[in-house]
Amino acid sequence: MTVAALELQNIEFSWPQQAKPLFAIAELTLQQGETLFIGGPSGCGKTSLLSLITGIQVAQHGTCRVLGTTMNQLSPSDRDRFRGEHLGLIFQQFNLLPFLTVQENIELPSKLFDRRLKKSTQLFGSVQAHVDRLCDALHLEPALRHRRANLLSVGEQQRVAAARALLGCPSLIVADEPTSALDEDNKIDFLNLLLSTASAQKTSVITVSHDMRIASNFDRVFLMPGQESQNVLA
Amino acid sequence: MFWLNLAWKSAWSRKYSLSLVAVSVCLSVIILLGVQQVRTDAKHSFSNALSGVDLVVGPRGSQTDLLLYSVFQLGTPTQNMSYTDLQRITQLPAVAWTIPIQLGDSFDGFPVMGTSIEFFKHYKSSGKNLSFQVGHAFEDPQVNPSALTQVVIGSEVAISKKLKLNDAFALTHGYKAIEETVHADHPFKLVGILKPTGTPLDRSVLISLEAFEALHVGWGMGLRPSAFDVKPNLQKDLPEIKELKPSELTAVWVGLHSRTAVFSARKAIESLRLNSTSVPLMAVLPGVALDELWQIVRVVENALIVIGALVAVCSLLGVVSVLLVGLSARRKELAIYRSLGARPASIFMTVAWETFLVCGLAIAAGVMGAQLLIFVFQDYLLQSFGIQTQNGWPGIDAWYSIGLLLCCALLASTLPAWRAYRMSLSDGLNPPN
Repeated sequence: MTVAALELQNIEFSWPQQAKPLFAIAELTLQQGETLFIGGPSGCGKTSLLSLITGIQVAQHGTCRVLGTTMNQLSPSDRDRFRGEHLGLIFQQFNLLPFLTVQENIELPSKLFDRRLKKSTQLFGSVQAHVDRLCDALHLEPALRHRRANLLSVGEQQRVAAARALLGCPSLIVADEPTSALDEDNKIDFLNLLLSTASAQKTSVITVSHDMRIASNFDRVFLMPGQESQNVLA
Repeated sequence: MFWLNLAWKSAWSRKYSLSLVAVSVCLSVIILLGVQQVRTDAKHSFSNALSGVDLVVGPRGSQTDLLLYSVFQLGTPTQNMSYTDLQRITQLPAVAWTIPIQLGDSFDGFPVMGTSIEFFKHYKSSGKNLSFQVGHAFEDPQVNPSALTQVVIGSEVAISKKLKLNDAFALTHGYKAIEETVHADHPFKLVGILKPTGTPLDRSVLISLEAFEALHVGWGMGLRPSAFDVKPNLQKDLPEIKELKPSELTAVWVGLHSRTAVFSARKAIESLRLNSTSVPLMAVLPGVALDELWQIVRVVENALIVIGALVAVCSLLGVVSVLLVGLSARRKELAIYRSLGARPASIFMTVAWETFLVCGLAIAAGVMGAQLLIFVFQDYLLQSFGIQTQNGWPGIDAWYSIGLLLCCALLASTLPAWRAYRMSLSDGLNPPN
């Protein structure tokens, strides 16, 4: 039996010196290879939930298990390492180091963690082959790759960020409002490219967004509790 | 290693703001090291100039004054000593040799030194005897009267005035050349050019005491005889060579048979019985007088070094503040590092390394800049201050300063690094925009 990509049980999270928890989640599970949309208005704790999943914060109560690893039990630096080796992150905007080229930005995970380097080499022969494959899949032209990252359009930057998150075949992609900076046409295109490329690598994807219109593209939808608290299957 | 490389690339992308503060660090290092090196070289070249002389004898007064005017031709004497005392000093049992020194004339700004042929036998610079690029020493006029017109010059004079062997030129009475003070009636012929010694001798013009005396026959009130009389040919009126002896000397350099006798020799010289022509004498140990001189200069020296050090600290703080201000603009960059799995400790290291890199490069550039400046101004320092500067690796003092500066840079680099560390802990993946 394969381990679940994400298992949350009786999670309660509050900021330090705040008595009332920001949110509480009884249960949330995502199987490996599935995609999950987490929705809710701004300020409901979506981003804090992501920081639990990515190991930046830990919950005061409950267990948060990512890819079978219980995050509460790891030391802060082990959580950082875990994030680097097993997760790919995409932000709303400014994902790239502006002083590096597109190619160098995409390669970063393989430079930082041997595990990501080995995975790419095992599955695609070399890191470069994987970079090429991802760039093709995400419609990034070869001419772009040697340009400085800050010279790209926002849409291109998001696709480069997706390529970097997917390099080295992490098991889980975590994206925080990845489409908010994009216009309507680009939004759907980007999401389709991200989800199809991820599913080709059997990578799970968790996306948080306030934009419910993109929710239908995901296998599962979870609305943050506190509003109409429910776990909906799309 | 990858982080260091990344830090370098990140710093390079901000090269304009960083290079400005780096330049200020570089300049402060140049000041600090330049002062230190010139100080070391000054001490070195001053003590070289008297390496073979055991005692400097002159009229009683200030030790440092005597040393400065008689050896380094800085300042002017207020009083001369009697020539007859030269013989009395020479006859003292402890004394091996004496070099008489007569100053007061110049050649286009270069001091003229009247001395005897003993000078070429006994004078040493940096422990080495004098040697000639071309030509030879002037002869003893008592042996060969034509030696009255012979002159030897130091290497700097030869270069600066473009003089070659057998060139003829006239000297000037005092230090300012106007028509009435030029010894035009007594031209000299160049017979020898000395090799560079790194001492004030390189800027000196040497003639015999007899020639010095012959120059001044008939002079009065600092003006030449023709200023009083229109006699066309004064050469005939010169007294016999034997009578061409000066009555006064500026100073006498003394060498002893044995250095251990230096204190008793000093006592013997200072207690010479006064006669009708002589003045009370003073014998100075050059090393002691130089120490006294350095003590006077030390205040200025230390002030310069303290200023240099303060400027260095200020410019390091400048680097720190520029990097601290820059950090708020780099919060997104730090969050990207965190998202890629960087520990806050790696972020600390990256930012610390960047600061240290900027300071370290600036310090290295400053070390080379100081050497370059000293190299460029080598001639100027030698000509204007008689300081022979050395190029090459910094001395031990300079290494201490460099080490101290690097320590300060290391300390300074922890400030922005600590701030970045705190920021990346509190921001996590979501820095404020």
